[in-house]
Amino acid sequence: MPQASQSARPERQGYVLLAPALIVYLLFAVYPMIDVIRMSFSSWNGLSPEARFVGLANYRAIVTQDPVFWGALRNTIWWTALAVILPNLISFGLALALNQNIPGKSSLRVVFYLPVIIASIAVATIWKWMYDPFFGLFNNLLMQMGLDGWILDWLGDRKVALWSVFVAHVWQSVGFSMVLFLAGLQGVSATLVEAARIDGAGRWGVFRYVTLPALKPTMMVVFVLSLINSLKAFDIVYGMTGGGPAQSTQMLAMWAYTQSMQLGVFGRGAAVSVVLLLITLVIVLPYIRWMFRREEMAR
Amino acid sequence: MTLFSQAFRRVGSAKVDPVLVALWISLILLALIWITPFVFIVFTALKSNATVMGASAFMPPTELAFENFAAAWRRGNFSTTAFNGVVITVIKVPLGLFISAMAAYALAKVPMRMNKALFALFLFGTMLPFQVMLAPIFRQVNAFGLINTYPGIILPYLAFGIPYQVFILYGFFSAVPKELSEAARIDGASHFTIFRRIFLPISLPVLSALLILDFVATWNEFAMALVILQDPKMWTLPLGLMSFQSQFSSDYGELNAAIIMTVLPAALVYLMFQRYFVAGLTSGAVKE
Repeated sequence: MPQASQSARPERQGYVLLAPALIVYLLFAVYPMIDVIRMSFSSWNGLSPEARFVGLANYRAIVTQDPVFWGALRNTIWWTALAVILPNLISFGLALALNQNIPGKSSLRVVFYLPVIIASIAVATIWKWMYDPFFGLFNNLLMQMGLDGWILDWLGDRKVALWSVFVAHVWQSVGFSMVLFLAGLQGVSATLVEAARIDGAGRWGVFRYVTLPALKPTMMVVFVLSLINSLKAFDIVYGMTGGGPAQSTQMLAMWAYTQSMQLGVFGRGAAVSVVLLLITLVIVLPYIRWMFRREEMAR
Repeated sequence: MTLFSQAFRRVGSAKVDPVLVALWISLILLALIWITPFVFIVFTALKSNATVMGASAFMPPTELAFENFAAAWRRGNFSTTAFNGVVITVIKVPLGLFISAMAAYALAKVPMRMNKALFALFLFGTMLPFQVMLAPIFRQVNAFGLINTYPGIILPYLAFGIPYQVFILYGFFSAVPKELSEAARIDGASHFTIFRRIFLPISLPVLSALLILDFVATWNEFAMALVILQDPKMWTLPLGLMSFQSQFSSDYGELNAAIIMTVLPAALVYLMFQRYFVAGLTSGAVKE
């Protein structure tokens, strides 16, 4: 066998192995991303054969004429900021507690993780029922405690609806970060903890100078994953309020969907998508670079 | 009390630590709050509508109304949605893992000129949120004429599942010592053979973790199905539940029975394969 073909063949085999995954990924994930950018500069109603190029008109429209966009942006930012902090603080506390010498750890872990594996749309349905103004759990509870004055239409009141949905999100997402933190805690060197104790470090000292520094990579992962999860909040809002009442729980991801798929203004929907994609990329690209370097170093 | 005889003590100490006892009690209380929604759902699912409206929400059902389940199954078209869910999951999950494993092997073990760039391309995909671009995905599937078909939903599911799986498996394959594959190469085996005979078998633990994780994700997926499967005959369980919720929201017992039937398969799978979940989540994400 000639030398040249022997060095060329393994590479070709590699591309054959790679091809199915790469083709599907390029066609149905990468292409739509390029398409949404192109679409954001066009006008298309979903029916006409050709989309018309309109330059920046869609962006101008969502920023100046769209009464919902700014509200949805504000909701997305608030939601994301809180979703990155609140549930993760609970997760972190739970993980630290479940890492101690206490009985029933695995059952407790199951309880906190169970909501994670339930379909978001089912979580939405469950909580919508608990918030039911007449027969739901919350108002029943308040009534029995004699707090009739606190009774609210949790999902029908513009002032509280978004936060009612957020509580359901917290219930659903705490377990996910908890498991990541628990795995991170497994990686904290026991000898290091022991050494710190022998040197006279108390509970706080061990936590501050051994556990916390060792958890830095985990925290990074949790931070980015919950950030992305909250930017794309869709199912739970769709299932609980559909963006209402009066668009008060509208978010960018769902507003993009609503404009394109329900109102038939694909160009404007695409412009909203691009705004959200840009926000995501700004956050995610440094992280991807960090992951890439770590993979490189691991090799 | 053997369970407690060792607990609540710090390492190397024989005394019960009061801080740990207090911590444990607060954990139990929080866990009770966490399971309250489930208890409430089960209670309501077993009550007739008259009982739901008449008695307190916290009263356990006295006469178990199991007929709610049969009625919800019929009205919610569960035989159709469950069947579609099974077909889509059973095709998508193994197929996706297989092609991801092939790609990950190629990237990790076959010397190619574009290795790095291609890996970076997949890594980028792990962070790409599809909820953001439902309309262009719809356009693309529509361009292939696949709206309301099984391939129409399976292909985008594959596309957005591949990057994460490639990433995890790439990490796993990279850690396999060179000697293992090079010995086989010297014996004249092709990469296809090495992948099938050596790498696929040794990655079974990772593959099963990813399998369970992906099963639950696919079974539960809502947003993509919403835009692509518009014909009720093609709906999956989450779509069926959503429609049930908006149509029969005041049939409380049946609605809650529908919730339980939607949620149960994934919950059972999780309870049976718990340890794989943690392995699947963390094998690539959190490592030293």
